Amino acid sequence: MDEDILTTLKILIIGESGVGKSSLLLRFTEDNFDPEQTLTIGVDFKTKRLNIDGSRVKLAIWDTAGQERFRTLTPSYYRDAQGAILVFDVSSYATFSKLEMWLNELETYSTKNDIIKMIVGNKIDVDKREVSREEAMRFAKRHHTLYIEASAKTKDGVESAFEELVHKIIQTPNLWDSYEMNNIHIGNKGQPNQSTCAGYCSLV
Amino acid sequence: MNEEIDDSEFYHQDFTTASEWEVFMARIEEIISQWKIDKERSEKPLDTESIWSIKSERLNFADEHFYLYLYSKQIACSAITEINEEKEDNPQKNPIDSLHDFELYNENNNEVHSCLSIWYGLNEFIVLSPASNGGIINESKIKMLLSSIYVVEGNLVASENLNSIPIFIQIREKWQRLYLGVFANEVIRTNFEMVHLKKGLPYCNYLSGLLDLFKTKISSPCTIDQFIVSTQFTFTLSEFGGFVWKQDLLHQNYDIESLFILPFGVSVDPISALILKTTWNHLPDNLVVDSENYTDFDPMAAMKWSCLIKSTNDPVCLMGDAMTEFLQNLNNSFTIYDILGDFASLPSSENNPLDLLTEPNVPTLSRLLTRTARHSLTRNKRNNPPLSESVLVPLLYFLFPDADEKSNFPYGREEKEHVEPSEQILFKNFDEEFKGFKTCSPDSLVWRLSIILTHCLQSLGGLRAFAHIWYEFVQEMRYRWEKSMPIPGLSPGLPDLRTCLLNQKLQMLNCCIDRKLSRDNAQVSFDSAENSSTDDDDEFFDCSEKPTEEKHKEKLSLWNQPVGRLSKFGNLKLIKTGDPLYIPVTQDPVLKTEDQLEEDTDVLLQLGSDAEAMELRARIMSASLLSDMESFKAANPGSVIDDFIRWYSPRDWIEEEDKVDEWGQKVGQLSPRMLIEDNIWTEMWLSAKPVPAHRQKRLFDDTREAEKVLQFLDLRTISQICELIIPVLSHTAIYRLMEECQSLASDEIQFPAKISNLIRKGEVLTRETRPQPRRFEAIIQEAAALELLISEMNSLHYKLNPSRAINDEINDLVVKLVTGREVAVENRANSEIGSRIVSMFGEAQKMTNLSIGEQYEEGRNAINNVFPVPTAREFVLRANAVKPAVYSSKCPQFLRAVLSKDEFRLCGAWSEDTVFF
Repeated sequence: MDEDILTTLKILIIGESGVGKSSLLLRFTEDNFDPEQTLTIGVDFKTKRLNIDGSRVKLAIWDTAGQERFRTLTPSYYRDAQGAILVFDVSSYATFSKLEMWLNELETYSTKNDIIKMIVGNKIDVDKREVSREEAMRFAKRHHTLYIEASAKTKDGVESAFEELVHKIIQTPNLWDSYEMNNIHIGNKGQPNQSTCAGYCSLV
Repeated sequence: MNEEIDDSEFYHQDFTTASEWEVFMARIEEIISQWKIDKERSEKPLDTESIWSIKSERLNFADEHFYLYLYSKQIACSAITEINEEKEDNPQKNPIDSLHDFELYNENNNEVHSCLSIWYGLNEFIVLSPASNGGIINESKIKMLLSSIYVVEGNLVASENLNSIPIFIQIREKWQRLYLGVFANEVIRTNFEMVHLKKGLPYCNYLSGLLDLFKTKISSPCTIDQFIVSTQFTFTLSEFGGFVWKQDLLHQNYDIESLFILPFGVSVDPISALILKTTWNHLPDNLVVDSENYTDFDPMAAMKWSCLIKSTNDPVCLMGDAMTEFLQNLNNSFTIYDILGDFASLPSSENNPLDLLTEPNVPTLSRLLTRTARHSLTRNKRNNPPLSESVLVPLLYFLFPDADEKSNFPYGREEKEHVEPSEQILFKNFDEEFKGFKTCSPDSLVWRLSIILTHCLQSLGGLRAFAHIWYEFVQEMRYRWEKSMPIPGLSPGLPDLRTCLLNQKLQMLNCCIDRKLSRDNAQVSFDSAENSSTDDDDEFFDCSEKPTEEKHKEKLSLWNQPVGRLSKFGNLKLIKTGDPLYIPVTQDPVLKTEDQLEEDTDVLLQLGSDAEAMELRARIMSASLLSDMESFKAANPGSVIDDFIRWYSPRDWIEEEDKVDEWGQKVGQLSPRMLIEDNIWTEMWLSAKPVPAHRQKRLFDDTREAEKVLQFLDLRTISQICELIIPVLSHTAIYRLMEECQSLASDEIQFPAKISNLIRKGEVLTRETRPQPRRFEAIIQEAAALELLISEMNSLHYKLNPSRAINDEINDLVVKLVTGREVAVENRANSEIGSRIVSMFGEAQKMTNLSIGEQYEEGRNAINNVFPVPTAREFVLRANAVKPAVYSSKCPQFLRAVLSKDEFRLCGAWSEDTVFF
C-alpha cells in the first residue's frame, strides 16, 4: 500500500432511511448527486483519500441502510469504526427525533470507546424546514457530538463535514495510532479459514 | 619578505618538545576547566531523579585509555546526607573537615565511584579511572598517575579563580574500589590513601588499635588534644523463625479452592535479611573503650538506630512466572491431541451411538458429571492421566457450577463485599478501570477458564494438564450443544464484539443452543398447528365444493393460504384486496463473531468501489431482504410491493392528502427512488415466492455454526489457545494486583499510577487481533515487579506488625524499606518498631544458642545476648593536627575503618600545611 498514507480510518454513516446518507457519500466521494439513487441494502462502502493537516489518510466510509429491518444486520459492521456520521433530514422532525435511538445503537455496538460522533442535518436546500438549527445544536451539545448542516444536493457543507470529522479523529491518536490497522488489510489472517463455503451465500 | 620577518618577532612558544606526559596532564586540566566553565554557565541541572550529576571525558596516555569523571551531588538530593554544610562558611574549607559520619544507605546511590562520597563525605570530586577492566596494577604506573594528579591539582590551585576539587585515581583491580587522591587549596594539601585487605590485621580490629594506628600515621610534631570517634555496628537478621513469610499463609489450608484464583506472591520469603545499624556519633576518644576484651558499644545504648532490608535474589513471582509460561508457549504449534497422545481420540466415540437416543433429552445434573468422569481420559488404563479425577472434577465443577446443585461458586454471585469503603481503598470501581479491555466480564466462564489453565500450565502438570483441561472443556461444550443445555457464565445475547474472541465464540454457541431449543419447541407447536390447519383445510375444501363459495375459494386457494403471520400491522389494509396487512414471522437475524465479520468485510472490500461492485454487494446483502419478502408474501396473499414497502420502509411510501381508497386508507405512492426501472427491490419482489420463514432455507444455520465453533475450539493449537487466553489472563492478573495492593496506599509508591499504566498497556494488548509477545512481555515484567513489591511489603508488615493493626509509622517505614533505603528508627529500642526488631533478634539468637548448645562464647559479645556478632563495624576517627612542622596550622586528619567478615578497608585522608612548613 502507499507509503505516505498515515492511516486508514473507518467511518460510519447511520440514520433513518431516506435522509440522504448515500447521497452525502456520493457527493463527498464522487462529487455527484443522483436524485434517483436506489435504496441501500444492508451496508455498502466507498473509499476516498484525503489530505488533513498535512497528512494523507485513507477513508473507508461505510454506508448503511436505515430501515428498521436491517438493524439486525448493519451493527455488525460498526466494529472498529473511528468515526460516525449521524444523519437526519432537517425537513422531517421524525428523523431528528430518532437520533437518540441511533446514538444508543452506536453506544451499544461500537467497539471503540472514544469514537468521534458527528450529527449532520441534511437537505438544508429544502424550503420546508421542520428542525431548527438551534434545536439540533442543543441536541448535539447535550450529546457531545459535532454538528454541521449540509445539502448533498447543493454540495453545501458536505466536504467540511467529513474533513471536520477526520480532523477530530486525527487529534485523538488513541483511536487510530496504537492499534494494528489491519481491519482494512486484505488477505491471510494466519488462522485457518473456518468457512470453506465459497460464494456469497454465507455472508448474510 | 619584510612581513614575514615581522611575524617571526611575535611572541611564540614551542610545544613540539612537550612530552606525552605533559600533554596528558594538559588535557586533564583542559577538561576540568571546561567543566568548570560549563557549570558556571548552566543553570540548575534538570535531571533531579538521580543523586549524582556525572560528566565524563575519554582520554589516552601511553597506550592506555582513561575516563575522567566529574561527580557532583545534585542540590536537591544533598539534603539526604546528614550534614548541612553552611555554604557561606568558608569557600576554602577542606572537604573532609565535615561532620559526615555514616550515610543512610540508598539503593539509588549506586554509581560506580559514589563510594568515595560515602567514605569521605565528598559532594564533588573527580576520578580518573582506566577504561579497560584490567585496572592499574603496576606500581610505577600508579606513581606516574599519582604524580600527574598532584601536578594537575597544583596547577589548578595556581590558576586562582578555580575552586579546588579533590582528584582521585582508581588503582588495582576495579572490584577492590581502591583509590588514591589529592586535594589542595592555597593553605592545605590533603592526601587520600586507602588500604584494602581481605583480612584485617588483628591489632586493627578494635578501636584501641585503630587509634594507635591513626596517631602513628599522623605523626604530628605536637600532641593532639582530642580525637573524635564515630562508630557504627551492623547486625544482620536472616533467621526469621516463625515470621518467615509465605504466600500460602493467607490460605492456611492448601486445598482445591486455591486453584480458583490466580497464583500470586513469591515462592520464598522476598526479604532475605533485616539489617540493623547502631550508630554513635562524635564521641571523644577518652570516653569510649573498645578492645578485644571489652567494649562500651552496647547496641541497646546506641545514639541512633537505622535499618534496611536485603531482598532475596530473583525470587520466583508466581503470577509473573505463570504468565511467562503462556508467553513461552506462543510458538508451540502442537495441537492438544499431539500433547495428549493416546489419551484423547478425536471424537469418534466408541460408545454405542444408540446411547444418544436412549438417553433422556435433558439429563439430570448429576448424570452430567458422571458422564464427565466417564468421558474423561481417566478411563484409559495405559498411562496415568495428566490430571487425576480428584483434581479434574472439582475444576470442572468450578467452570460449570450448574452441574452441581450445591455449588459454592455459582456464576453471577453478588460482588464480594468489600471492606468498609475507606480512604485506604485505592480502587473503588474495578469495572470502570477495565472499561477499555476487550476480554470478558469478571468471574465469567472465560475468566475462570483462564485461571484454571494458568494453574494447569504452572503447577498441575504443565502442557499435558493444560491440554487435558482444554480437551475436557471442548468435550463439555460439545455435550452441551448435543443436549441443548445452555452454557453457564456467559452474558446472554448476541456475540458481544467488545469481548474477546473466545467469549464471542462461546456466546455464539450459546445462541445456537438457544435457537435449537426454540426451533425444537416451535417444531412441536408447528406440527400441531399444521395438523389442525390441515383439518381446517379439509373442512374448508368440503365447503368450497359448494358453488356458493366459489368466489372465496378462488381468493384463498390452497397455495395461497396465509401462513406465518405474526401480528396485524396497525390497521393498514392490503391495497389490492383490502385484507389486513400482517407482519410476517421472519427468520432470526444472522449472528457472527468478529473473525467471521472480518472475513465478510474483506470479501466486501475486495470487490472494490465501482458501480458494479456496489450492485454485487447489494445482492450479497439482499438474502435477508428476499427472505423477508417471501415471508411477507406468504403471510399476505394478494399483496403487492407497495404493501411490502409500507411495512418495510415507510418513508418510501408517500401518502397523498385527502384522498382515500376503497378500504378507507389514504392513497399513496412509492417514492421516486422505488419507482426506478429495474431497481433491485422490485426485481426481487417479482422473484420472491410466498414461503413462510420456517420453510425457507435458513439464513443462519445454527447446526452448522455450532459445529464451526466446536471445530474452532477443538482444533486450536497450543499457541492459538494461548493467544485466546492471554488477553483474559492480562485482565485477571491486573485485577488480582489491584485487589492485592488495595490496602497498601502510599504516596511514595504510587500504586494507582503504576496500575493505570499497566491497564493502558493491557487495553492495547487485548485489542490486538493477535497479542504481540513483546507487549505481553512488558506487561509481565511490570506486573511481576509489582507482585514482588507487594510481597515484600506484605512480608515486612507480617514481621514488623503481625497484628496488622493500622499504624502509619510502620506503613511509612515499610514503604521506605522496600524502595531500598535505610531508615532511621526513632527512639531506637523504645519505639514500637525498635522493640519488635529487638524481639526478633532475640528469638533468632535463642535459636542459635540452642543449636550450638552451651558452647556459647562468653567473650565481649556477651554484653547483650539479644544481638549476634556484628556483621560489620565501622569506625571514623578525626583529629586536627599541627603538621608538618610545629609552627604549621592545624590540619584535619581523617581515618575510616570498615571491618567486616570478608573485607578490611582503611580510608585515610592526611592533611598538611603548605604555607608554613
